Amino acid sequence: MNLLTCEGVRKVYGSGRNQVVALDGIDLTVGKGEFVAIIGASGSGKSTLLHILGSVDKPTEGKVIIEGTDLSKLNPTQAAIFRRRKVGLVYQFYNLIPTLTARKNILMPLLLDKKKPNKEYFEKIVGSLGISDRLDALPGQLSGGEQQRVAIARSLIYRPALLLADEPTGNLDQKNSKEIMDMLKLSNRNLEQTILLITHDERAALEADRIITIEDGHIISDELRR
Amino acid sequence: MWKDYSSDYMKNNPSSSISIMMAAFLSALLLSLLCGLFYNAWKYDIERIELEEGGWQSRLVGEFDQEDIEVIKNFASIKEAVVNEEESADGEIVIDLYFDDMRTVFQDTLQIAGLTGVSPESIVYNYELLAMYLIRDSQDTSPRLSFPFFILVTVMASFSLIVIIHNAFAVSMNARIHQFGIFSSIGATPKQIRVCLLQEAALLCALPVMAGNLFGIGASWGLLEMANRLGSSAAGRHEAVFGYHPLVFLFTLLVTVVTIWISAWLPARKLSRLTPLEAIKNPGELQLKRKRNSPILTFLWGVEGQLAGNALKAQKKARRMASFSLILSFMAFTLMQCFFTLSGISTRETYFEKYQDAWDIMVTVKDTEVDSFQETEKIQALEGAESVVVYQKAAAKRRIAEEEMSEELKAGGGFLPASANDVIQTDGGWVVNAPIVILDDESFLAYCRQIGAAPRLDGAVILNRIRDVTNPDFRHPRYMPYIKENAVSVLQRSHKEEITVPISVLAYTAQVPVLREEYATLDYYELVHFMPVSLWTELKEQLGAATEDTYIRILAGENVTLEELNTLQEKINQLIGGKYDIESENRIQEYQTNEKQIHGMMTILGGFCVILAIIGISNVFSNTLGFIRQRRREFARYMSVGMTTAEIRKMFCIEGVMTAVRPILFTLPLTALAVWYMLRMSYLEAGVFLAEAPFIPVAVFMLAILGTVTLAYYLGWRNLRKINLAEVLRDDTMY
Repeated sequence: MNLLTCEGVRKVYGSGRNQVVALDGIDLTVGKGEFVAIIGASGSGKSTLLHILGSVDKPTEGKVIIEGTDLSKLNPTQAAIFRRRKVGLVYQFYNLIPTLTARKNILMPLLLDKKKPNKEYFEKIVGSLGISDRLDALPGQLSGGEQQRVAIARSLIYRPALLLADEPTGNLDQKNSKEIMDMLKLSNRNLEQTILLITHDERAALEADRIITIEDGHIISDELRR
Repeated sequence: MWKDYSSDYMKNNPSSSISIMMAAFLSALLLSLLCGLFYNAWKYDIERIELEEGGWQSRLVGEFDQEDIEVIKNFASIKEAVVNEEESADGEIVIDLYFDDMRTVFQDTLQIAGLTGVSPESIVYNYELLAMYLIRDSQDTSPRLSFPFFILVTVMASFSLIVIIHNAFAVSMNARIHQFGIFSSIGATPKQIRVCLLQEAALLCALPVMAGNLFGIGASWGLLEMANRLGSSAAGRHEAVFGYHPLVFLFTLLVTVVTIWISAWLPARKLSRLTPLEAIKNPGELQLKRKRNSPILTFLWGVEGQLAGNALKAQKKARRMASFSLILSFMAFTLMQCFFTLSGISTRETYFEKYQDAWDIMVTVKDTEVDSFQETEKIQALEGAESVVVYQKAAAKRRIAEEEMSEELKAGGGFLPASANDVIQTDGGWVVNAPIVILDDESFLAYCRQIGAAPRLDGAVILNRIRDVTNPDFRHPRYMPYIKENAVSVLQRSHKEEITVPISVLAYTAQVPVLREEYATLDYYELVHFMPVSLWTELKEQLGAATEDTYIRILAGENVTLEELNTLQEKINQLIGGKYDIESENRIQEYQTNEKQIHGMMTILGGFCVILAIIGISNVFSNTLGFIRQRRREFARYMSVGMTTAEIRKMFCIEGVMTAVRPILFTLPLTALAVWYMLRMSYLEAGVFLAEAPFIPVAVFMLAILGTVTLAYYLGWRNLRKINLAEVLRDDTMY
């Protein structure tokens, strides 16, 4: 069963002579539990696609359906609630709130919904990510690798349907990069978490089950590896 | 969650919190002051009306027997019905009515009139008092503008405050666009972000609003006390007693909360409407939308000047309110100082200096005719009273035939420039106003001697001069003879011009008696007649009523002191105060009161200018201290391309200088223009103004602005200067 369906997605920025077509007729389906890597050169449109899939941005044309919800029809409030409950976002630059502790950063999506966290699940996540002893530190007191783990924990805390990771290892050294990729794989296998990884690091992409290549806003290859 | 987030932010960014708290405090202070003052002005007006007219709400005039009065007293909504003995006369009884609920006054008075057989025309309503409680009737056509004026001023004050203080909230909120972008990206709805920002504003503003309201109440009490002190010597004024009603407090609180809420809501709404992508991509740095040049700054200070100019332009929006408040405060202060200086010179020249020798004490004897005033000799005999004139004024008309007009008047166009209100053209000539000044006999004889006429009591002296209307300079008017001299002047009764009274003319003169009076200032075509009281007694039946009051002008000699005048005034009060209803003023006291009032006005207006300046300066502080993180990244970039700390400091100094100097550069030419215009309108010489120009207060205000802006930039620099280049450029914890 498909978790995600994109039909003829087009994204155009600007107008007139300044018009830039970032995505042009993207058709894509992703099944539940898949680990998909999207690769492409800088400016190919992969981050735009991730933003549209994460309901952070809207397509100019086309449909994006995740678990039966058409993202193009959501108003800003519905889109925010959808992001909170259905999508986990991991960025290259972590995007943690600097004035909140790691614990509060992780719990934020739940707290926005005024929900109490499941203590067991929380401990399982932070334990598996290896940040149990860093929960009371502020982002500024954590290393890059630790900050990215906190960001991944935050993206998983709501058990989202889809985890979108935008160059999650782009700002990390080799050791930390490997560990982060292992964690993503682990959550894919153990929690059956659907993951869409955007990267230009081929080694990272090779960890995925399927590799989609984008160039100039078009999908030019879709390779199933396992 | 939001509580944790907001409290953390407030703890870590005290400068932007202080700026918001200061804005909230000042807004609450101003609005509370406004409401407190209006409430007390309203209360004072009611007291005044009750003192002057009485506190009755309606009044019945007619013939009532005891039974009628009982019917009125027993009417359901009547609180009190009082027979007004003072107003009742000639068999007609006046009954003052007081109602339990004032709002029923129009309906119930009509009903009572019907029950007692009084026609509706005999009902009198105390419209002025009723209007104070917003009870209006279509019959009352007076505008009664107190409440509309208050509402207009409150709305304008709130609007101005919103315009001024919303920037303090915007600076604090915009510094966190990126963070709210993160919140949004993980699912915070626009409403949640807006609520968070508004809660934060409420938390920051709660105490300042309460404190501002209390200080505002204190300030309105202080201003009322000041008004009491300044107006203590004003004739007919009763002392205002400070009062405050809980509803006024609630209203003030409501207006303040709404004002601050809108100020916070505007930037919060804008921020919450950003898409997560826009917010996350926002680096929080101030950017230029298009290429800008700063040729003057570049010419003066080189590349640092150019960078400073660009930085100022990039911060233009954030600095707008700071610039606006500083320019407005400095301009208002400078113009106010210049205006009061000019007004002071003008009042001194046209009033005090002109009347310096014309009076020392003026007594108004109410409801008394000059011929029935018996105490003239006793006052003249008082020690310290060198010259006493008792006089009254009356109105009459005089027809001037063409052949009577002086050659000079004819040459100047005759009555052609006169308005129809002043001069009426008839078949036999032009009918003009002929005010009569009735002097006590002794003073009239002295006046005759003064002008070289035969001292007699059987005729009048005519002030035979008319202003040359072609010369608009009221400060240096030119006069010419009005009419040709004739032995008789035929006066006409005002409003009954068919009644004519010939009066023999003792003399035509251009000299006026020494009185505190102005002649032909509004109506240039008046032909003033001076006559003795003994002649007036013979003519008054024909010429009609004079003014209600009689005046006594007393001169107390040269170099008289305030104490001596006070003593003389007291003696006059003792002598005639018991017998007549009098009001008296003395020249030195009036001069001092006038000075005090001007100083009081200047203090109040100056206070508002200072408040405006504080708002501007707190905005400068919030800008210099609120953008530290952004500026640190900006400066780190300059350093990464080789700029030294000294050069960055220079650039920062240029920004500070431009911020402080801008209000001065804007204000001085405009003030010069305004002063030039005021000088032209008041016919004062520039040299006279320059000799008294308010250079010192303006310089002090200017230096205060310069000093505080310098302090703001110094504190900003202290926070900025320790830049660890590598750390700042690498610092991605926020991005």
